Amino acid sequence: MRKGIQSWLDERFGLTGITDFLTKKTVPIHKHTIWYYTGSAILLFFAIQVITGFMLVLYYKPTLEMANASVARIMTDIPLGWIIRSVHSWSASFMIAFVFVHLLSIWIAKSYRRPRELTWMSGVLLLVISLLFGFTGYLLPWDDLSFSATKVGTDIPRAIPVVGAWVTNLLRGGEDVTGDTLTRFFGIHVCMLPVFLFILLAIHIYLVQKQGMSLPLEAEGKQEKVKEIPFWPNFVFREMIVWLLLVGILFSIAIFFPPSLEKAADVMAPAPEGIKPEWYFLFLFQTLKIFPAHVLFISGEMLAVLLMIFAGVLFFFLPFFDNRPTGTKGKIITLLAYVFILYALIMSVWSLL
Amino acid sequence: MKLKHSLFSRRQFLNGIIGGWLGAFLASLVYPVVKFIFPPYQEPDEVILPFSDFKDMRPNSVRSFAWGSKLGLVKKNDDDMYFAFVGVCTHLDCNVAYLNEQRKFFCACHDGWYDENGINIGGPPPKPLRRLTLIIVQEELIIQKESPEGNS
Repeated sequence: MRKGIQSWLDERFGLTGITDFLTKKTVPIHKHTIWYYTGSAILLFFAIQVITGFMLVLYYKPTLEMANASVARIMTDIPLGWIIRSVHSWSASFMIAFVFVHLLSIWIAKSYRRPRELTWMSGVLLLVISLLFGFTGYLLPWDDLSFSATKVGTDIPRAIPVVGAWVTNLLRGGEDVTGDTLTRFFGIHVCMLPVFLFILLAIHIYLVQKQGMSLPLEAEGKQEKVKEIPFWPNFVFREMIVWLLLVGILFSIAIFFPPSLEKAADVMAPAPEGIKPEWYFLFLFQTLKIFPAHVLFISGEMLAVLLMIFAGVLFFFLPFFDNRPTGTKGKIITLLAYVFILYALIMSVWSLL
Repeated sequence: MKLKHSLFSRRQFLNGIIGGWLGAFLASLVYPVVKFIFPPYQEPDEVILPFSDFKDMRPNSVRSFAWGSKLGLVKKNDDDMYFAFVGVCTHLDCNVAYLNEQRKFFCACHDGWYDENGINIGGPPPKPLRRLTLIIVQEELIIQKESPEGNS
């Protein structure tokens, strides 16, 4: 019976190619294997985001009048709604945390080098999309905090020369953050970003499969073969253990620390004290804060934003600056990674003081 | 390996334990999802309306009110008695209209007919319109889920 269905489907889809590939795929085992798990952890949290997102959108109402009240309803009236929202909110943080870890591990291991340049670049774009998911999602409960954070966040592009004001208007759907911004962010969050993410994710995963797992530097040069285990079932089962652990941690935190919901934002009210973006934007937020009002002949804000864009572009094109053959160490690049980690940590902690 | 006096092998036992545990775990994930997707809805036990809104009704006419999220209809008969119905066709949930000239309730969706007492008389409706209990206490109309006796 099972065989029959399998061959029927195979005749039409040509599945044997894929299943053959998966049964033959191997994963190298060495002391840095642990970093391979971060990719599937991101996928796990993304899957949780999709499922809980499908659920939340059943009740969420993306309008000025209804947004805050509909989230309140999810938190209070809908059976187990508070857990679903809490899991969605925490899983977003977990996902972005793992995206950072994934990226830094690849940065330090230099796995972006030839032939994996496009894998790296699609990965950086996936990071940008993840951050945009976080940014647009943060506004949706429409409370004081999320409203003010969005005002600040959407005002930052204004500092870009020439196109800045236009970008801010595009993001906000007008001069100011209004109900139109909310509806727009909702559309971006649930329609546009998922489409772009799935396309990039498909490219990213295809490239990873096509090129195989990258090996750490010290193993790359050596002649003897690195130990390998089959992807299916050996490695997948190990991944499943990691997923179980992560799901356990996520749900425990989500149950004990559900996100709050303040009263609905009043567009005319003064900004509340202590407005903060999500934790993954804190280091950028603090960077903007420490720049003086004027640096030489341009505004400090413009300089800060231009520097950030410049750093982002360098980051995106990293494989082309560091295009040495695999196996060379690249000490400066490694150092830069640690400098970045240190900088982000110090700035984030500073912003909380 | 199958032991001499064992009903199943060690492999089967382990598969059963792990598979069963996995099944229970997945069920515990599916349960909140299923709970969540059905919003709580409760039909009201009673709705209280000011009688003044219905005093001026002409005999042989209806006026609508909200019975929870459904259409409710208060009907005044020729003898000045008030009745209440859930104004939803028993066929496929459309809202009905009262045609006072013909003294019938009519459902336009599939041509369903009820007489002036809400009894199904033509077309596809399988049951009479649902009756609600209506009591007038001083200046209030109290409309409740139907009890066996009924109305006033």
